[in-house]
Amino acid sequence: MTYITIFFQYVAQYLKTRLTYRVDMVIEIFSDILFQAVNLIFILVVFDHTEFLSGWSRDEIIFIYGFFLVPFAIFGAFFNIWDFNERYIVKGEMDRILTRPIHSLFQIILERMELESLFGIFTGLGVMFYAGSRLNLSISWYDPFVFIMMVFGGAFVYAGIFVLLASISFWSDSPTSIMPMMYNIGNYGRYPVDIYNNVIRFILTWILPFAFVGVYPSAYFLGRQEWYGYAFLTPIMGILFLSISIFMWNIGVTKYRGAGN
Amino acid sequence: MEKIIQVDQLRKEFKSFSSRSGLKGAFRDLFTRNYKVIPAVKDISFDINKGEMVGYIGENGAGKSTSIKMLTGILTPTSGIVTVNGMDPHKEREKFVKSIGVVFGQRSQLWWDIAVQESFRLLKKVYKVPDDVYKKHMNHVIESLDIAPLLDKPVRKLSLGQRMRCELAAALLHNPSLLFLDEPTIGLDVLVKLKIRNFLKEINEKYQTTVLLTTHDLTDIEALCERVIMLDEGQIIYDGKLSKLKSNWGEGKQIEFQFADVEISRMKLNPLLTELEAEWTRGDRQNVWVANVLNDEHVISEVIGRVVAAHKITDIKIHEISTEEIIRNIYEEGAINA
Repeated sequence: MTYITIFFQYVAQYLKTRLTYRVDMVIEIFSDILFQAVNLIFILVVFDHTEFLSGWSRDEIIFIYGFFLVPFAIFGAFFNIWDFNERYIVKGEMDRILTRPIHSLFQIILERMELESLFGIFTGLGVMFYAGSRLNLSISWYDPFVFIMMVFGGAFVYAGIFVLLASISFWSDSPTSIMPMMYNIGNYGRYPVDIYNNVIRFILTWILPFAFVGVYPSAYFLGRQEWYGYAFLTPIMGILFLSISIFMWNIGVTKYRGAGN
Repeated sequence: MEKIIQVDQLRKEFKSFSSRSGLKGAFRDLFTRNYKVIPAVKDISFDINKGEMVGYIGENGAGKSTSIKMLTGILTPTSGIVTVNGMDPHKEREKFVKSIGVVFGQRSQLWWDIAVQESFRLLKKVYKVPDDVYKKHMNHVIESLDIAPLLDKPVRKLSLGQRMRCELAAALLHNPSLLFLDEPTIGLDVLVKLKIRNFLKEINEKYQTTVLLTTHDLTDIEALCERVIMLDEGQIIYDGKLSKLKSNWGEGKQIEFQFADVEISRMKLNPLLTELEAEWTRGDRQNVWVANVLNDEHVISEVIGRVVAAHKITDIKIHEISTEEIIRNIYEEGAINA
């Protein structure tokens, strides 16, 4: 309960500071949209040369991309802690975090949140509706609930992986270089996994389960029954990965060495 | 007496990785690494009672920060027992930190971009301070630290002295029974220092707040603390009253003479001190000489008498050895028996 009130207090403060730098905010949202547009154009260009990709049509792949944007937006808004090592470990800001009576990871999430990213939810929904209408997908009454479950599952998978990587900072000095690579690998989850070879497929499903952020949950909405098993694993994988990462984080905190003054 | 801090055989070791030299060494490092275990704090023990104000001093790298970080729950001890406010700081961290306040002079507790009062509001939520308690307590704090005019300014626009006072107020927002201050007056001017000292004395009297103060500025410690704990190379080398430290170590006095004769030399002065426990050192000008003497009325009067009888003088001063000098002497000569 306290955590919820504190969350909203932080959000209010965040908005207050952000509104004083209005231009910044507009530019950030604009560059986000531009970035997503480039990705979309890439998909369109690929399909200019081919009709199907391993049995997936152009609109289906656009739909998957649209879905992917939603959990990715939530991840980007709250769990984007790629600079954790530099900001909190090297500069010793973790000292301050640890002297406050709230869970350390929760505090860092609140301090590092970037609510502008949430704008991606609208872009994602727009893309999904566009592709969905071309595919003549129908929506049942329970689909929105399944959607929310899938989105959170996907966001948790993403969050789990990045929190796990951030936790490494407690043991080792510079894992920052892994982060850009992770963003790239994350993008693979946007495409149907059956276009990759088996090893990459295995990795994207069980080791770095980015496939649960894009293709697997989307398969449910696209009515691809052969993937339903994976689709419904999404929330479970999300909760599992996030729990593992929080567990590792908690161990990591006890190994924190502090920065020398 | 109620014990607030109990430390028993506390130890912290850091594993440090030493790299081999050269390219060949770098390859070998990939497979087997040389670790050196460096003890930063070596089995220290002490107790602090409720309401005490204790100065925690030591040179850079003596283990001050490391031990403070173990007391505040930031670091996990390698071995030994720490009990602060009846809790194990690291194990019950979230519950424990509610009972302490921390000011790290070089690190801000406040949010850079938002107004001071907004920071206070957030912290009030974080520490779950009820409205009425907050109002009563904070009004007093804000008034004594004289920060009311700063409350609506963003932290980044404050001067260092203004910011420090706000930091202190933020650390006391939940009225903790124990306050850790790490270099709270670093880089501050005399007036702000005085204000902060007076304020600390005041809350110590009013709420019986226990204060543990680390600083390089010994005047802070002289003004506030009766007791000092001195660390060197991870060990406690003195734990006791500041006054005792002074009387045990500050035995001598210095008598500074300024002579009318500019040509005065050691040759002429040395015979004056024969058979006395005293010796001359050169002062900062040519006609200024200092006699280092035992703190004994007979010796002091004898030295002054002989000098004044033999030479014309224009000025005379008597100095007591300062705490800073005492501490420097202790570090140079190593551990003492408290």
